[in-house]
Amino acid sequence: MSILRILTYFFGEAITSLLRSWRVSLLALSTIAMSIFIAGTFLLLSNNLDRLVHDWRREAKIIVYLESNISAEALGRVTELVERGDWIGEVETVTAAEARLRFEETFPSVKELLETWQDEPLPPSLEIGFDSALMDRELFDDWLSTLRQDPAVVAVDDDRDWLRQLDAFIRLLRSLAMVVGVSLLGAAIFTIASVIRLAAYLYRDEIAVMRLVGATEFYIRGPFYFEGLIQGVGGAIVALVGLYLAFLLLNPQSSTLLLGTVLIEEFLSWNAILGLLAIGAAAGTLGAVMSLRRESLAPD
Amino acid sequence: MIQFLSVSKQFSGGLAALRGVSFEISRGEFAFLRGHSGAGKTTLLKMIYREVEPTTGQILVNGRNVTSIPRRKVPFLRRSIGVVFQEFRLIQRRTVFENVSYLPQILGLGEQERRRLAYQTLRRVGLAQRMSALPHQLSGGEQQRVAIARALMNRPEILLADEPTGNLDPDLSWEIMRLFVEINRKGTTVLLATHEPTFIRAIGGRILTLEKGRLVGDEAVDGDGRFEDEQVDPYGVSEAKSQESKP
Repeated sequence: MSILRILTYFFGEAITSLLRSWRVSLLALSTIAMSIFIAGTFLLLSNNLDRLVHDWRREAKIIVYLESNISAEALGRVTELVERGDWIGEVETVTAAEARLRFEETFPSVKELLETWQDEPLPPSLEIGFDSALMDRELFDDWLSTLRQDPAVVAVDDDRDWLRQLDAFIRLLRSLAMVVGVSLLGAAIFTIASVIRLAAYLYRDEIAVMRLVGATEFYIRGPFYFEGLIQGVGGAIVALVGLYLAFLLLNPQSSTLLLGTVLIEEFLSWNAILGLLAIGAAAGTLGAVMSLRRESLAPD
Repeated sequence: MIQFLSVSKQFSGGLAALRGVSFEISRGEFAFLRGHSGAGKTTLLKMIYREVEPTTGQILVNGRNVTSIPRRKVPFLRRSIGVVFQEFRLIQRRTVFENVSYLPQILGLGEQERRRLAYQTLRRVGLAQRMSALPHQLSGGEQQRVAIARALMNRPEILLADEPTGNLDPDLSWEIMRLFVEINRKGTTVLLATHEPTFIRAIGGRILTLEKGRLVGDEAVDGDGRFEDEQVDPYGVSEAKSQESKP
């Protein structure tokens, strides 16, 4: 028997069975769609957040605020301290006047606040670009501590702190996605297994006849495996279509929502889409395999 | 053709269905398996196509030891054995054609070839014109003939029947029994389980008697002549064979 004819037979029988008990089939498909939709949502959010953090990290700086009336000698000393770090990129000196100008440009509605000050209200600073890949955490902490102890340094603002917090949040999001996704996928597999067990029960008389006339187990089980596969892939397709519609609704080109403008800029990559489809297919097939133990196909 | 060598079967719970049963049925033989309900007839038949495995003993079918065939090869054994049951076991949502076409489909035959084969086999049992009917549209006798056609689709060397007339009225039962005799005369070995003595007396042949799992009788008797006097070929199979077959 040709492979194509067998596959056509499996597919036809699977579709017939799905239509025969369409309500429970729809339930199984919805369960798997729901689980993949939720896992996909987490993946979409964490991917976009990850990309955002990556962009921010590239732009992140360490800002060393200096005494307002810092001497040239002190500035040289601090600059020398700064340049000891191997991870240092570009260092920009921002004078107090430049700092005020920036503030006025950034917050024009409150620039009058600064006019009440007699001296320069904002301190001069050194803005230090860095390459986090080159950083040794211990050396960096020592370097930071030495800077903070210098009498000409008022404060050191380290962008890495909140980036670390954001990283932790992304990790948490991914862990949550993993837990929720795996739990829901487990539920989906269980539902598919139950649906296929029910289908096998409905077809038990036919299975008995097929066994009697000499059908192999592969031939008997094939349509049920296909049924699981169709439910899994169908659920994954429904989830991905739903996710894409949600993405279109929220993405910055068509949405003014903060979530859209900040987090949902890019849809899932083709690899992620294929991965989710593969997860759906695997879940469906696994459900079928679980449900088709020999005793579940045995005649009464 | 079929050989039982000291076969015993004990089900879980201690129930002994068969106890040391030994016999041999030759190719082309017509044998009755007689005994009351619970005597072990069904278990014995199931062992031949390995639906049930013996606890001890050996079973040879066509020289092959059925008890030692790997499970994955059992389907190939079953393709050479036709089985008919008292309750027909037809699939109610499938047409007559579909009911008899399981094996050709499993063997990968195309639709046209399946139809041709189904037509030929159904004509053999007198139902060639009912290929599109559903089982519930047929009488009990017709349903049993469909079941027999299904069993004959692969031209089996052995035909097993477990109380095939148990659900039929006497007239229909005679029809079915004549069909078995005709099939046997074409060369198929038939082993038929029944507790109905009328048929045994009328047809005659080899009679194996089971009692509480033991083989207590193995004899050959002549029929009383009724089958010789009447038309044995009720559906004109011999005539039909000479006509050109068309699906």
